[in-house]
Amino acid sequence: MPSTLDRRALDRRAFDRRHFLRAAGAGAAALGTAGALASCGNSETTEASGKREQGSGETTTLTWWDYFTLENFQPGMTALIEDIEAGVPDVRIRRRTFPFADLERQITLGAVSGDLPDIAIVDNVSMNALGGSDLLADLTERVEEWGQADQYYEGPWAGCQVDGKTLGIPNTSNCLALYYNTEILRSANVKPPTTWDELAAAAQRLTNGNRFGLAMSAIRTEEGVFQFLPFLWQTGGDLDTFATDGETALAFLDDLVAKGSLSEQCVGWTQQDVNTRFVDGRAAMQINGPWQIPTLEKAADLEWSVVALPRDKESATCLGGENWVVMASSEKQDKAWEVLEYTQRRSVLVPYLESFGNLPSRKDLADAGTWASEPAKRLFLDQLSLARPRTYGPGYPDISRDVADAEQSVLTDSAAPSAAARTAAGKIDEALERR
Amino acid sequence: MRPPRTTAVRPPRTTAPRRTFALRPSRSPSARLRRTGYLFTLPGLAFLALFLAYPLLYNAWTSVHDVGLSGLLGGATRFNGLANYRATVSDPDFWHAARLSAVFTAGSLLFQFTIGFALALLFARPFPLNGLLRSLLLVAWLLPPVVSGTLFRWMLDGESGAYNALLRAIGLDALSRDWLIDPGTSLAGVVFANVWVGVPFNMLLLLVGLHTIDPELHEAAAIDGAGAWQRLRWITLPLMRPVSVTVLLLGLVYTFKVFDLIFVMTGGGPVDATSVLSLYVYEVFFRFFRFGEGAAAGLLLLVVPLLAGAGYVRRLRREEGAV
Repeated sequence: MPSTLDRRALDRRAFDRRHFLRAAGAGAAALGTAGALASCGNSETTEASGKREQGSGETTTLTWWDYFTLENFQPGMTALIEDIEAGVPDVRIRRRTFPFADLERQITLGAVSGDLPDIAIVDNVSMNALGGSDLLADLTERVEEWGQADQYYEGPWAGCQVDGKTLGIPNTSNCLALYYNTEILRSANVKPPTTWDELAAAAQRLTNGNRFGLAMSAIRTEEGVFQFLPFLWQTGGDLDTFATDGETALAFLDDLVAKGSLSEQCVGWTQQDVNTRFVDGRAAMQINGPWQIPTLEKAADLEWSVVALPRDKESATCLGGENWVVMASSEKQDKAWEVLEYTQRRSVLVPYLESFGNLPSRKDLADAGTWASEPAKRLFLDQLSLARPRTYGPGYPDISRDVADAEQSVLTDSAAPSAAARTAAGKIDEALERR
Repeated sequence: MRPPRTTAVRPPRTTAPRRTFALRPSRSPSARLRRTGYLFTLPGLAFLALFLAYPLLYNAWTSVHDVGLSGLLGGATRFNGLANYRATVSDPDFWHAARLSAVFTAGSLLFQFTIGFALALLFARPFPLNGLLRSLLLVAWLLPPVVSGTLFRWMLDGESGAYNALLRAIGLDALSRDWLIDPGTSLAGVVFANVWVGVPFNMLLLLVGLHTIDPELHEAAAIDGAGAWQRLRWITLPLMRPVSVTVLLLGLVYTFKVFDLIFVMTGGGPVDATSVLSLYVYEVFFRFFRFGEGAAAGLLLLVVPLLAGAGYVRRLRREEGAV
């Protein structure tokens, strides 16, 4: 190659490449920033516009966090806050909402930065992680003085107890049951199953072409564990007997997948995905909660009904829902408790729960609202007495992951039920001791 | 650039008596200039200190303390030396995640780069709609990872996914599967999506690199009788080497820390088949609330991109020095 040409080309290249490198670097930096900005969750701050209070005293403003971001929850929540501001003297509520998955994380971040609310509505399973953290105010004495503890269903109330202390009040409760497509069952001449054997037989008979007999969620999050735990409890066991009873439950589900009655894809399904398949007629039965009722009612061509989860040695279902908590860092705990107490009055709680389509956690409201007359809601409400909370202490997040991994490895054929159960049991025992 | 020599004999300026250094017999104007220069770096330094040094140091502090959910409020955290690092390094899940990260990064880079290079060669020559097609390709890169992740999750779905439909349409039913559900293919699935996201980025940078090659080189070689393949092999590839290394280094930094795409597509599953280091750190932090261990793992995660970044900066320096 001629050397003069080479030299010139190299010069030009060097110059250009320098610019290129700079531009690339700047682009990279800009990209990083944009990504960071985009990933900041969007949370809205809502100042509830209530009526001016008549009280003469100093107004207390309480900060309140929850995860009810969906549009259809807003009227009920706004009405509740207006009700509180009108009914509790001298109080204003400043509400902030976070996406479901972000609330717990936001509380832990808030604990670091010192930015915490006075009141929060948290998922009942969060009590495991938050309960051991000194983040939540101890409400034991206030609750004793209040004297309404025995009005609550056992499971929801137990879910608020950590180490003998009351750290919350149930907001609303739900649990799982078995939905079925009445039309499909009728034409296949199958009765809704009440035991594991009947469930397996029914699921197999109802499986047909594109349609699976049963749909449930086995996703690798708490959602999947929420759906699995009833099977474990129905064997008569619990997490501390996972090596044996866990194997029984895993083997039962593995069998459903092996026979094609339950899609292997359920390891990727959320409960929403499960419901979509049920509505589309791609599943004859599904395990799901009462929050799906509005969607199911909207599906015009769908005839459905709901029964209790089939039993093995025992009947069991898993408790879902939220609890009200007061933060230990709050300097306005008296007022916060006053608000909590107010929300539990019949005249306040019933319209609030009705607007959310939720079920009460209180037995004394069982005959009060829409849930008393609608058969599907009534079924779920009756099941609440069997619903167990996931109160396993601060090790629960680890346990939840171990259970999910065991279930996923069995359903994707990466491990046999016995091996998966043994592996998980070792880790679970370790985590259970962390109290 | 040298300052004019006449400055030294001029009387001290009277407009700036506040500045004491102006009154002192200044050593040289260039020193003063340098000092002013440092002053101008202050905003940049403040930015770095606030948004880079502080979080990093805080993270380093956390990594040598026993920080969990309890004690967050009271600030009662105990110094525990290297216990967090020891716990992380002895956790088999960490090494599993590190291996997955290595495979994910290597796989992504290999395909991103080769496909990107091929496309760059294509787009380097003029043809109708070149500009339009190039811009359209960039869309893949501009899409938020949450969107592209959701898209791929749907397309790779076993039941209703587009890829299985395609395979069935061309008679390859045997190959169709639940791409993201099957533990054997889920990692390949996320690599596939990440390659799609990364190709335009590689192509764009490589294209700019190709434009810096003097066309006369190709002409001269062609006159000497070199064919297209020989010109690619003996002119384009050697001259593209520095650019390629830079592109790969940047790609390494980006790919190693990918989180959102995988999180959306598989959430680390099935079981832990796609649980790369970034997801591992996230879980330790926000699922298990072991902040100390999470910080330690986070710092360990930083090592690879940091080395790559250092390599990139060194190259940048050398290039600037060459002028």
